Amino acid sequence: MRKVRVSFTLNGLKKTDEVEPNQTLCDYLHDVAGTTSVKKGCDTGECGACTVLLDDMPVTSCLVLAPQVEGRDVVTVEGLGTKLVPNPVQQAFVEHDAVQCGYCIPGMIVTLSWVREHVPRASDAEIKRLMSGNLCRCTGYLQQIEALKAAIKG
Amino acid sequence: MRPFQYLAPIPSFDYVAPRTLAELFEAFNGHGKGFAIIAGGTDLMVALKERAVAPEAVVDLCRLRGELGGIDVSKGVLRVGALATFSQIESDPLVRRYANALRQAAANVGTLQIRSIATLGGNLATASPAADSAPPLIALGASVTLLGRSGQRTLPVQSFFTGPKKNALLRGEIVSSVEIPAGEGVSSVWTRAAVRNENVLSTVSVAIAASIHDGRFGSSRVALGAVAPTPILAENSSRAMTGSEATAGQAERVAALAAEEARPISDIRASAHYRKHLVFVLTRRLILQMVSEAGIP
Repeated sequence: MRKVRVSFTLNGLKKTDEVEPNQTLCDYLHDVAGTTSVKKGCDTGECGACTVLLDDMPVTSCLVLAPQVEGRDVVTVEGLGTKLVPNPVQQAFVEHDAVQCGYCIPGMIVTLSWVREHVPRASDAEIKRLMSGNLCRCTGYLQQIEALKAAIKG
Repeated sequence: MRPFQYLAPIPSFDYVAPRTLAELFEAFNGHGKGFAIIAGGTDLMVALKERAVAPEAVVDLCRLRGELGGIDVSKGVLRVGALATFSQIESDPLVRRYANALRQAAANVGTLQIRSIATLGGNLATASPAADSAPPLIALGASVTLLGRSGQRTLPVQSFFTGPKKNALLRGEIVSSVEIPAGEGVSSVWTRAAVRNENVLSTVSVAIAASIHDGRFGSSRVALGAVAPTPILAENSSRAMTGSEATAGQAERVAALAAEEARPISDIRASAHYRKHLVFVLTRRLILQMVSEAGIP
């Protein structure tokens, strides 16, 4: 089938590409665009490992078709912080030992960075509700919640 | 359900993103039977991966947000565009004011990531008996507007659902908006039971819309989800509630009628027997909550 030409913003940079119509945004970002932080877990929108920001809302990129990003703004962890200049949630994850195997972490960082920015007064219950779309099978979430709260406090 | 075919890509299709309604209906015409419509994509993408559908074209509504999006009130009607996402509905002040039950349901759909893209129109069009948006809309007396090449028509939301995963849409029609009567003095509430708190389909959901004056319920509507082939208006229960005294005894009676009207099946989430019990418990709980919020001792 015909490829689709898309122009969008990826981590702040304008990008134009030809994408397969049946490719998910998750596969496109990881396999084609080189933003390998985007992990494929369940591939059905349950686990949140592939979470990215689409027009500043967290979405599971496995449920988005690559052509759907036309004209939109996509942010992955690569756009949120770097090894030298981590964002506050990344830094707090390091300080709170909030990472074990690491597979869920990019999606987790995307979601919790969004929570820090948009719902900084969230209660513990609200934080849990908002992070329920990011499954972690190692840590049990407590360190991650503590890390978020520390990052919010600054 | 067929097993997921994780390694194989989704069979390819033409991707079309019309910029006008005229282009949209043109795209439908051009692809005969073999097209699927994508809005948020949270249902369609899974169906594509499961090979439950294999369209020759996917028609994307995303560039029609001007025509099919937005939330506004005019002339006593709250209009929610089909492309309004659950996140938008959850945080909209007009929805909070006129359709609290819908706001509550929207906040509990899926996960943050799902609510960010999943749309009200898509939730209705998928026509799951467990569609979380449906009981609040039915309780609030909402109607749904369907748009086709030759014009639009309007149906009560409960008539839009015709069976499990079946709806009243004709080929080439789309859901364009939902209209909710925006009455002052009507309060509406929603609750559900599910096997866990988040990221889960409802086992049973109940919504009630009613006004309370001088210790009595005015016009009242009780709607149930996930306990029949479609979301339903519990008519006997609604009739019994309308005009009744706002008391614990009446709550019990109305809830018992609602449980009788439920026609649930047993499945992986619950037995039919337990679902009926849940309808009773949740309906009673909501009525008692309305009574208590109205300040009746």
